[in-house]
Formats: sequence, structure tokens, C-alpha cells
Amino acid sequence: MIALYIVAVIAVFAVIRATLEKNTGRKLPYVNVMNFAVAGAIVLLLDHPLALAAAAAYFVGSTLEANALASTYAGGDRRG
Amino acid sequence: MLGEFLHILAAAIVSWILFVAVDIFFKLPETGGVVGATAIARDIEAGGGDLAGGTMMGNIVCSPDASAGTLLAACGVYVAGIPGGLAAAVLVYIGNRICYDPGYAGTTGAVLATFVVYGFTLVGFAATDFIAGMVIAILTVQGLSHAHASQLLGRLWRVRE
Repeated sequence: MIALYIVAVIAVFAVIRATLEKNTGRKLPYVNVMNFAVAGAIVLLLDHPLALAAAAAYFVGSTLEANALASTYAGGDRRG
Repeated sequence: MLGEFLHILAAAIVSWILFVAVDIFFKLPETGGVVGATAIARDIEAGGGDLAGGTMMGNIVCSPDASAGTLLAACGVYVAGIPGGLAAAVLVYIGNRICYDPGYAGTTGAVLATFVVYGFTLVGFAATDFIAGMVIAILTVQGLSHAHASQLLGRLWRVRE
């Protein structure tokens, strides 16, 4: 039970850090922490074998989004 | 209550050592796997951090690495024991392919973590300790101080070199 609270608090903390950070490149690692915490929370909340599939789908999807955001950001840098 | 808290802290330390060792073994700090990882590394360096450590942090953001493997393996062991952990390794491998990641750090990390987490469950730990522990471990790398974390990772990378 403590595990779930720790994970939830870390998710909220990461969101606050990501919101306050102005630099896009340094914002993404905070969002990454939030993704870890949410994937962990999915499994801690739902003790079912399919919860693993849900957590993995969420995590891989959010990582792909972060990848796309970072690549777009890097491309924007080159044009500038 | 205190016992569970100490288990989570111990699990965080074990997870940290496991994923950093696997990521450094697979040379994540060497080059950005995708252009976005390199951009994140440059921003971290501009913020007073280390380029090699920043590159590893950028790679962690952009593709499932050993840290993601450890988290999902712990989740897998929690819901279905060793088969669950190995299923998580397969899902991480698919994730690596989707993210155009040539490295196998994530898959290796997931397989190793499956057996490490399962081993610890035999001596009184719960798999949930490792889920929370891994989230704490990634917080210390990606979520507290990018400058300090990247400098530490850069120092460990130079030891490996």
C-alpha cells in the first residue's frame, strides 16, 4: 500500500517539475519520471495479468510520444 | 510499515545499480540513439550537466532502456511471477523496435531484473517493493537534479571507458 502512495506522490512531483521547467529538452526527463510512475501505478492498482499489458502499452506509447517530441524539438533547432 | 518502507528503499538501490550497470554496459552514454536524445543531452549540458550523462538520460527518455525493463519486469513478476517478467521483456523488445532503438539494453535489463526481483521475493521482499523502488530510482536520475545526475553518470561512463 505504501508503494502505491510513493508512486502517486512521485507522479505528482514530476508533473509539477515538468510544468515549472521552461527548457523543453530538460522538461522531457521529468515527463519520463511521470510515465514510469503512472505505469507502476496501473499495475499496483490493478492486480491482474492484463494490467501488465496495459502498463506496457501505456509506457511504450508514452515513450514513443516523448521520442517524437524530442525529435521534433531537435529538428526545430536545426532550422533555427 | 517501517519494514515495507526499508524494503522499498533497498529495492530502489538494487534497481538503480542494475539499470545503470546495464545501460552503461550497452554504451547508452556514448551516442544519442535518435536525434531527440542528442538534443536533450545538449540542453542538460547547457544547464551545467555532463554531455555523456545527458546523452544517457536522453536515451532513457526516447526509448525503453534497462530502467523501463526493470520497471516492467517487476510489474510482470508481481502479476504473474517469472513468466510475467519474461512477457514484460518481450513487450520491452517490441517497444525498442517501435522506437527505432538498435540497442538491447531494455530487453537484457528486463530479463535480468525478472530473476533479480524473483530472487528477492524469495527472501521476504514483495514485487511491489521493486515497482516503487524503480520509480524512486528513475526519480533520482531524471527528476531531481539533471546537472548532478548527468555528472555522476558521466563519471561512471568514463570509468567504463
